[in-house]
Amino acid sequence: MPISRRDVLLGGAASAALLPLATPVRAQAKEVVIGVIYPLSGASAQIGVDAQRAFETAADIVNKNYDFDLPMAKGEGFTGLGGAKLRLVFADHQADPQKGRAEAERLITQEKVSAIVGTYQSAVAVTVSQICERYQIPFLSADNSSPSLHRRGLKYYFRAAPHDEMFSTAMFDFFDALKKKGQKIETLALFHEDTIFGTDSANAQLKLASERGYKIVADIKYRANSPSLTAEVQQLKAANADVLMPSSYTTDGILLIKTMGELGYKAKNIVAQDAGFSEKALYDAVGDKIPGVISRGSFSIDLAAKRPMVGKINDMFKEKSGKDFNDYSSRQFMGLIVMADAINRAKSTDGEKIREALVATDMPGESTIMPWAKVKFDEMGQNNNADPVLLQYTGGKFVTIFPPQAAVADAIWPMP
Amino acid sequence: MMVAMDPGFRRDDMRGKPLTAATIIQSLASGLLMGLLYGLLAVGLALIFGLMDVTNFAHGEFLMLAMYLTFFLFMFWAVDPLLSIPIVAAGMFVFGAVIYLIIIRFAMRAKANIGMVQIFATFGLAILMRGLAQYFFTPDYRSIPASMLGGKTISFFGVFLPVPQLVGALISIAAFGALYFFMKKTDFGRALEATREDAGAVALVGIDKNKVFALGWGLGSALIGLAGGVMAIFFYIYPDVGASFALIAYVTVALGGFGSVFGAFAGGIIVGLVEATTAMILPPSLKSVGIYAVYLLVVFIRPRGLFGSI
Repeated sequence: MPISRRDVLLGGAASAALLPLATPVRAQAKEVVIGVIYPLSGASAQIGVDAQRAFETAADIVNKNYDFDLPMAKGEGFTGLGGAKLRLVFADHQADPQKGRAEAERLITQEKVSAIVGTYQSAVAVTVSQICERYQIPFLSADNSSPSLHRRGLKYYFRAAPHDEMFSTAMFDFFDALKKKGQKIETLALFHEDTIFGTDSANAQLKLASERGYKIVADIKYRANSPSLTAEVQQLKAANADVLMPSSYTTDGILLIKTMGELGYKAKNIVAQDAGFSEKALYDAVGDKIPGVISRGSFSIDLAAKRPMVGKINDMFKEKSGKDFNDYSSRQFMGLIVMADAINRAKSTDGEKIREALVATDMPGESTIMPWAKVKFDEMGQNNNADPVLLQYTGGKFVTIFPPQAAVADAIWPMP
Repeated sequence: MMVAMDPGFRRDDMRGKPLTAATIIQSLASGLLMGLLYGLLAVGLALIFGLMDVTNFAHGEFLMLAMYLTFFLFMFWAVDPLLSIPIVAAGMFVFGAVIYLIIIRFAMRAKANIGMVQIFATFGLAILMRGLAQYFFTPDYRSIPASMLGGKTISFFGVFLPVPQLVGALISIAAFGALYFFMKKTDFGRALEATREDAGAVALVGIDKNKVFALGWGLGSALIGLAGGVMAIFFYIYPDVGASFALIAYVTVALGGFGSVFGAFAGGIIVGLVEATTAMILPPSLKSVGIYAVYLLVVFIRPRGLFGSI
């Protein structure tokens, strides 16, 4: 009987189907799948690509044995789940809340993820966390900072990092401290983009300003990714506040500083709500125009002096990405560690069990890479023990200047 | 520690600042400079449309490519953007002609739904170019840190005119002047015009339609090259940079009139001025509203656009 090509194919398929029976049982070494949802293309693709490197660094620490005082570092994989390995599935939301919703649904139903971490843009976190709530899958905001996110009564929502009211409070504490030292700070100008991030940030700042007696002389909301910011900058220039407070992503941040130069406006001081003002790209483009700019942050590389593992983990990340940890990549890294630690303690990949373990989280600050007191979630899923810091850009790098217990240098004020 | 936001909290209207003469003049001057650049950005689109009824949906990506070319010339060979503008325009000329010969020419052979085929061909090209740029150039935001014009600005009585935009505006005026001369006074310009009017008839007199179209695409792309070279001086560069400018180019062409080169010039200036004026009256986040309101008004009165001939 001649053997046709079809027979060979069939035979091959049949033996492939039988193969699993022949290999030893591997039930113990199952894997834990976590969905990671970021803008991997579109205007903020650069953030997503850097985030991928941060998450891969964290996954590497989970899956291999490292001698760090960091949860999940010691031992390979999830010790609570028989050494199961962590596998990340990345999804691209293109900064679009609707794509985020669809991708979250796909991760849960098709990829069978046990938890989701995301998302950079707060506007996308809104939809992604709603989907997670519906499927009872825990969602952790690694780096979203809008305060309204945890106030929506969601049971499966968690955030280990500070939100913008905490960040803005730190800024106003800093202003108050400067005023006590005799500096003149009376007027503020807000400059913020028009999605939930910029709006929430400006709302928090407006409220704090009115409570603490600062006068807002300009409150400019602009359209994100505008081709030109000339009109906006003109209004900022006319207001000429003591402190300019931008809440802007990278593209708009670069254009803001360039346009300020073109229109001959030099801000007296800039205290930024992170985002673009934490990105290397912004300082590569316009860093020389804004020496002494201050940005809030939740990470400080200065910590490496006190906690050597911070420097070592930073080196691991730098090898993958070519960049140092910044405020975002550090929170992304830590977010995945917090989630993995909860799954490990839950000894299960069941959504409800992981949620219970997250609620029970009590991680001392020393075993994180952040300047936080600890990681412990309140009933809304927010960690209120994540103390923000203020960083000043001087001599081509960031130096922690506030609060005093974390500061390594005095603030240079006013901006040179 | 954290108090929930009081939902009844209202922000004061901080925009009640009186408009001074200086602010108005500054706004209009900035608007005019941007407008001239918008015109230069749009004219390639108008030219190609006028020539062969094809809307290039990859127009923004052509701009992105021109900006990256300028950036790489600066990074690797330290060519100042001002000097690289002609090189970029020449490079874009070749690129545009090649795109016509390998893609658009075939898209135009469709027997049915020819308009749709062209839309999807150029749209597909846009997505491809964006993807390749992200893969090869990485999604990092680039910018040219220092150049002969970058960051320089001149001021008259408190009105600031950024030098890169000023030079861009001059290049725009010069390009439109040259284009006008070219279209009206040269043989090739007349061939373009004739092919546009009746491609069948020009074939009879021995003009190769494909050659004319390829040169038309080259010329249109070279004009984007000029705009991209100027913009690389003062704007950031990344794979998606074309998107927001392409939208402006489309509305500029639609406003000025499809197929009209002069319309693109006038449309650009109108868009720039309307944008600047809107931002003086409404919150800046709504400044593009004015542009579209004016466009809808034009559609109402003169659907083919202000200077449209078709």
